[in-house]
Amino acid sequence: MGSGDKINVFPSRMNLTAMKTRLKGAQKGHSLLKKKSDALTLKFRATLKKIIDNKTVMGNVMKAVYFSLAEAAYSAGDISQTVIQNADKAQNKIKFTKDNVAGVQLTNFTMHSEGGDVYQLTGLGRGGTTVTKCKETAQKALNLLVELASLQTSFITLDEAIKVTNRRVNGIEYVIIPRLENTIAYVIEELDERDREEFYRLKKVQDKKKEMKAKKEKLLEELAGREAIKNADAPMNILETEHDPDIMF
Amino acid sequence: RVAITAGNIDNGYFEGLVRGFRSGILRRTDYHNLVECETIDDLKLHLQGTDYGPLLANDPAPIIVQTIDERLKERLVHEFTHIRNQCFQPLALFLDYMTYGYMIDNIILLITGTLRNRPIAELLPRCHPLGQFEELSTISIAQTPAELFNCVMVDTPLAPFFSECVSDENDLDEMNIEILRNKLYKAYLEDFYSFCEKLGGVTAEVMCPILAFEADRRAITITINSFRTDLLKDDIENLFPKCGRLYPEGLKFLKNAEDKDEVRRILERYGNYGHLFAGVGDGPNDKTLEDRFFEEEVKLCMLAFEQQFHFGVFYAFVKLKEQENRNIVWIAECIAQKNKAKIESYIPIF
Repeated sequence: MGSGDKINVFPSRMNLTAMKTRLKGAQKGHSLLKKKSDALTLKFRATLKKIIDNKTVMGNVMKAVYFSLAEAAYSAGDISQTVIQNADKAQNKIKFTKDNVAGVQLTNFTMHSEGGDVYQLTGLGRGGTTVTKCKETAQKALNLLVELASLQTSFITLDEAIKVTNRRVNGIEYVIIPRLENTIAYVIEELDERDREEFYRLKKVQDKKKEMKAKKEKLLEELAGREAIKNADAPMNILETEHDPDIMF
Repeated sequence: RVAITAGNIDNGYFEGLVRGFRSGILRRTDYHNLVECETIDDLKLHLQGTDYGPLLANDPAPIIVQTIDERLKERLVHEFTHIRNQCFQPLALFLDYMTYGYMIDNIILLITGTLRNRPIAELLPRCHPLGQFEELSTISIAQTPAELFNCVMVDTPLAPFFSECVSDENDLDEMNIEILRNKLYKAYLEDFYSFCEKLGGVTAEVMCPILAFEADRRAITITINSFRTDLLKDDIENLFPKCGRLYPEGLKFLKNAEDKDEVRRILERYGNYGHLFAGVGDGPNDKTLEDRFFEEEVKLCMLAFEQQFHFGVFYAFVKLKEQENRNIVWIAECIAQKNKAKIESYIPIF
C-alpha cells in the first residue's frame, strides 16, 4: 500500500469515466456507512447505560431475594423440597422479538406468565406471608434478569456490527478511495502524455512537409529558369525530359 | 393417671436427660456473642464454647449456612431417637405422636414427587428423619393418592387421619396437595389433643394449652394466608382444627373474615389472643404475626418445664430446640449475606 498503489487499467477515456463513476460510488458508500456506524454507536452507548443501571439495581434485588428466602425458611421451614417437587410446566415463558436498528437485527426477550400460580397454597399452614413475599421478590428479580439478558445480547450484536462497519468505513476511506484516485490520476496523466505525443508528431510531420515543399519550389524554379531559354511554351515531353520531378500533394 | 413416684420409675431417667439437654440451650449472652460475629468462622468459634461444642468441628472451611442447618437438625434427631429408643409406654406412644407431624410432611413430599414421576431414590433422602416409618419407601408403588391410601397408608399410624379427611377415596386424587397436608395435620392435632386429655394428670394440664394454642395458631395463619388465594370459605373451615380455644364461635367468624383487621377484632373478642397483635405491623421495625406466634410458643414451652413428672417436657424440649435451630440459622444467614438489619429478629429463649 502506498501512494503509488493503483488499479491496472488501460488508460483510455472510457476507463477514465468508469473510474470516475466508481470513485463517486465509493464516496457515497463511505458516507452512508459512516452514518450507519454513527447510528449503531449511539444505540450502543444507550444500551451500555441501560446495562449499567440494570446491574446496579440487580445487585440489591438479588440480595433482597436471598434475604427473603432466608426469612421464608425461618417462618415456613424448609420449603425448598415442596417447591422443587411441585415444579411441573414453566410458569414464566420468554418470547423472542427482533428489533431492527440501522439494518442490524437485535433480539429482544419479553417474558410473560402462563397458567395459574402453582404455589398459591404453599405455606398455607405456616409462614405463608413470607413465602408470598419471597415469590414476589423473586419474580421481580426474574423480570430484571430477562431484561438484562436482552440488553446484553443486543450489546454483543451491536459490538460486532460496529466493528464490521468501522472496518468497512476505514477500508473505503484509506484503501479504496486513494486507490481509485491514484488510478484516475494515472489515467489522466497517460492521456495527457498521449495527447502531447500526438501533438508533437503532428507538428513534426507538418515541419517535414513544409521542408519538402520548400525544396520542390526551389527545384521547380531552377528547372523553369533553364527551360525558359529553350522552348518555354512547348509542353513538357515525357520522352524527352530526363528529370521528372514527382508531383507533390 | 401417672402418680409421682410411679412415673419416676419409668420415665425419670428420660426426664432428667431432657432437662439436661434443656440447660444446654443458649442463653441471651450466647446469642449476643453470636450476633456480634462478622463471619461464619467466628460463629463456629463461639458455638464451640457453648453446649454445642464440636458440632461443626468436622466440616471443612468455608462453612455454608446449609451445613449448620444440617448439623443442628442431626443433633436434635440424635437426641430424640436416643430417648425414643429406650423409653417405655406410654411415653413411647407420646413421642410417636410427636413424630406424626413430620411423617405427614414426608408423605406429602413423596406423593408430590411420585405424581411428577420423580424417582423414589431421589426423594427419600429429603424426608425429615424424625418422620421415618417402615412403609415410607413403598410409597413409590402407588400411582395415585387413592392407591396410596389403600396399599400403603392403611397399615401406618396415619391411617385414621386419612380416613377422617376423605370420605371417598376418589376425593384424594382431586384434592390439592397442600389442602391434603393441612387436613391431615388438623386430624393429627385433634387426635393428639384427645390422647393427651386421656393421659390426664399434669401431662394434660401442660399439653392441652400448648396444643390448643397450636390449633388456634393454625386457624389464624390459614385464614390470613387464604386472603390471597381462591379457596372457598367452606374449604377453609374444614382445615381449622377443633381443639383450640377459638372453637366453635371464633372459628365461624374467622372463616368469614375478609382482611387482617377483621381477624384482629375477632381475636380480641374470642380466645384472649388480642395481646398477640401488640407490636405487629408491616413496617421494617415491626414484628410479624408469625414472630409473635413463635414467641408465644416459646413462652408456653418454657412453662412446661416448671412442672415435673409429665410428658410435656419432651414436647417442649423438641419445640424449643427447633426454635433455637431456627435462631442460629437465621443469625448465620444474616452474617453470611452481610445483612444485619434484622439480625435481632430471633426469639430469645432464656
